[in-house]
Amino acid sequence: MARVITFQKAVNEALDQEMARDPSVVLFGEDVAGGQGAGGELDAWGGVLGVTKGLYHKYPGRVLDTPISESAFIGAAVGAACSGLRPVAELMFVDFMGVCFDQIFNQGAKLRYMFGGKARVPMVIRTMWGAGIRAASQHSQSLYSIFTHVPGLKVAVPSTPYDAKGLLISAIRDDDPVIFFENKVLYTVEGEVPEESYTIPFGEASVVREGDDVSVVAIGRMVGMAQQAAEQLAADGIDCEVVDLRTTSPLDEDSIYETVEKTGRLVVVDEDNPRCGMAADVAALVAQNCFDDLQAPVQMVTAPHTPPPFSGLLEDLYVPSAEKIGEAVRRTTGGRVGARA
Amino acid sequence: MISVGVVANPASGRDVRRLVTGASVFDNAEKGAMVHRLMAGLGAAGVDRVVMMPAGSGVSQSLHRHLSGRTGHLAAQRLPELDVLDMALCEDARDSAAAVRAMAERQVAAIVVLGGDGTHRVVAAHCGDIPLCALSTGTNNAFPELREATVAGMATGLVATGRLGGDGLVRRAKRFRVGVNGDAVVDSALVDVAVTADRWVGSRALWRVEAISEALVAFASPSAVGLSAVAGAVDPVPRAAPFGLYLALAPPQRAPRVVAVALAPGLVTEVGVLEARRVDPGQVVALAARAGCLALDGEREVELGPADRVTVRLVPGPLVIDVDAVMAGASRLQLLDQATTRRADDGNHRPTGPGHQGAAPGLVPHDADHPRVRGAGAQGVRHRRDPRVRPPVCG
Amino acid sequence: MHKEFATGEIPGFVHLYAGEEAIATGVCAHLRPDDYIASTHRGHGHAIAKGCDVHGMMAEIYGKRDGLCRGKGGSMHIADVDKGMLGANGIVGGGPPMNCGVGLSAKVRGTDQVGVSFTGDGGSNQGTFLESLNLASVWHLPCIFVVENNGYAESTSDRFHASGVDIAKRADGFGMPGVVVDGHDLFAVYEAAGAAIDRARAGGGPSLLECKVNRYYGHFEGDQQTYRAPGEVDELRRTRDCLDAFAGRVTAAGEVTAEDLRRVDDEVMALIDDAVAQAKAAPEPDPADLLTDVYVRY
Repeated sequence: MARVITFQKAVNEALDQEMARDPSVVLFGEDVAGGQGAGGELDAWGGVLGVTKGLYHKYPGRVLDTPISESAFIGAAVGAACSGLRPVAELMFVDFMGVCFDQIFNQGAKLRYMFGGKARVPMVIRTMWGAGIRAASQHSQSLYSIFTHVPGLKVAVPSTPYDAKGLLISAIRDDDPVIFFENKVLYTVEGEVPEESYTIPFGEASVVREGDDVSVVAIGRMVGMAQQAAEQLAADGIDCEVVDLRTTSPLDEDSIYETVEKTGRLVVVDEDNPRCGMAADVAALVAQNCFDDLQAPVQMVTAPHTPPPFSGLLEDLYVPSAEKIGEAVRRTTGGRVGARA
Repeated sequence: MISVGVVANPASGRDVRRLVTGASVFDNAEKGAMVHRLMAGLGAAGVDRVVMMPAGSGVSQSLHRHLSGRTGHLAAQRLPELDVLDMALCEDARDSAAAVRAMAERQVAAIVVLGGDGTHRVVAAHCGDIPLCALSTGTNNAFPELREATVAGMATGLVATGRLGGDGLVRRAKRFRVGVNGDAVVDSALVDVAVTADRWVGSRALWRVEAISEALVAFASPSAVGLSAVAGAVDPVPRAAPFGLYLALAPPQRAPRVVAVALAPGLVTEVGVLEARRVDPGQVVALAARAGCLALDGEREVELGPADRVTVRLVPGPLVIDVDAVMAGASRLQLLDQATTRRADDGNHRPTGPGHQGAAPGLVPHDADHPRVRGAGAQGVRHRRDPRVRPPVCG
Repeated sequence: MHKEFATGEIPGFVHLYAGEEAIATGVCAHLRPDDYIASTHRGHGHAIAKGCDVHGMMAEIYGKRDGLCRGKGGSMHIADVDKGMLGANGIVGGGPPMNCGVGLSAKVRGTDQVGVSFTGDGGSNQGTFLESLNLASVWHLPCIFVVENNGYAESTSDRFHASGVDIAKRADGFGMPGVVVDGHDLFAVYEAAGAAIDRARAGGGPSLLECKVNRYYGHFEGDQQTYRAPGEVDELRRTRDCLDAFAGRVTAAGEVTAEDLRRVDDEVMALIDDAVAQAKAAPEPDPADLLTDVYVRY
């Protein structure tokens, strides 16, 4: 019997169960416990939004707070992974990747290849992403496309508590470096999650709503948004199939082609900025490999080519809405062919 | 014109003892600050010029930062002109030696040394009879003292300007002359000479007492740290005493006498003493020939083969200013007093009274010129002239 | 390497360690196979000192299939993780954070392994280096940070890029001991490294060793070194060569004969010549190798 827990709790549970099972799993990052060196409680925060709370006391010596030194501790995750540990490092906001990107894309991602297959880097970097809480430009980005672009990295972007737990357990057990994206708005979303430990394979998308008319391929928080749009469109007789990619690297291309073959129309929804993003990636793959199945041009629904704004009114315009998804779907069905977004 | 030399060794305190003991040292920024404070004391005592060895690694930068940051009270105080020697640096002991020789040519009246035992040893080998003010820049030194630099500057200035001196205030230190295989002098030591079984000079530092078989110490205080402490526990030898002490050491289990001493900061060890006997001035001591190293003042210096023979002789060393004695003498002779005959109400604008900005006239010799602003050389320092102080009328 | 590179047969960039041998030797002499080192782009010396196979190294430098990295790393990424060599690194500050990781791993798993990273004076200005000193200090890790200060960050002197201040002093700022060692003196390096490594193994925490040394060849092969004073390199070769100094001292002390040393030189020359010959004759990688080993399993 599955009980209902939040996305945040699901992440915590995945960490807890893996740390119990495997003593080489260690957790570190800024304030993953909190209170170090201060006069009050230890594990005062358990992560800035409380995701890792409780683990510090449960696994003594394996949950470590760090100074604000991403390049050092993310690099340490690489070194530790090469020398016997399975580290889960936290990059508090993916927007901070700039200060440690070398350690991720030049070191962690490439050691196996550069060393002729003689190194393994079984590390996970958990990181928060997403707009919607008025956190402004430097704390609201998506950026998973940048990591997806790098050969050697794997990228998971779960949309539900169930997927979060299963994908994180898979990530920790994976022998390759995985960047695990946790949407900050989704933390409080609830869903059914089995109590026992389970894995979800990477490179397997999930069809969350079946439909015959238009395929809507979405990532992360946009999966829920696409489902909302699908409900609204159903009232107008447009039957959408919603596909959750779950992992952008490896990418389940087969599921994308299958749904496009089925419906002939594709809308890709991505909260990220449009240039060189996942939406463009999927659209290009489909254009190359499913051209004959397409009845209409692929539509991409993304944030605009701007940084995320602070003002609530503006931020709500920035994040793709169910309405915008609906408009894009209509463009594939009845709107002028080739109409611009 | 009275000049005083300053040797501030940027290299002191970088050695391996940081890893193996708890010694702490002043960093180079602090050494630069010390030289600044020293100059304040020297200037107040009437020294006109400081001749300084160029000191890299942050010492000079720190000094110049302090000199250019003098505001308020500090700005009005008289500083000597700073003349940095124009010399090519080898970044080793040869620099100190070359600097001291240059200072001697310029006839400095005294040399202030900021460094450890090793730096002082090098300076002492080249300074002849120029009196030294020995300032320690770490906690692991026996020869120089940990002493506040401003007061050291005042004392040195009083000696340099000739107003104080003599046996009680400027003392003759002892020195060991060391020869190998009949050479008269290979090197010298101010504190101790030791033979260690360590095969190579390596990182130079001496921290394994179990490797030391014999030692000679020039003075030994029971409250010292290091080999001197061993001697001090057995037979204290004051600096003023003419003799030194020879020690033969052995592992504690084989020694008739075992003492527990602070061999290094943070390290109290048992040391076995086979023999301890006094060594008279001029007496030649032969050290047992064995492969190993000869350590001078706590640093391995010479690698010895099994056939090498070492002889050590206690001889007179450099003249060293006793800062405490000098300041006591200054107080006794009222050299620190401000001139009370010159007052503001006699119509002449002159620095008077305690706490007034500017030079303390009592410290400055009567016939010295009031400080003039000198043109700064390429490395010289321009010190500001206080517009409120007009040149004095002689009297 | 210098000669062979000049023939044009070696692809890419090569950075030679010549002049700095005493450092790699003196440090790695204390390391076990289960200790790790993280090297720089100038990593051939570290690799040899840590026990990497010379034939495999040479084949790798030539980009051949039998190279240590199957021809996929080259000189700048030469590695053998099984021998505790976490790779030469094309990013100058890349090693120190990985060193922290090794230290963390040893500490969590309760072993007495240590990690050593080598960084140049140039690399010591990277944020990664400073952050790593802090992290190793805060976490009290068994890590030794060796700075090989050869006076040049590519073409820029350390008098400029580090204000001429000892890099060892940076350790003070992180509550860690930092010592300066003469990098030309094998015995000095050996002693200092021994003290640092023993201290780390015994739980004494991290330390920094700044070994001041000189390099003979350019930053990379092909660098004409016009930024160095005329005659500087020749003078250094003449007066400060670490190999000459070592040979002179051990023969003068009667520990080793000149004959012994000559024999070692001959053996090594033969080994290198053979490695070069074999590397030149070795097969290229298989085109299919382009796509392998990106992941353990994708």
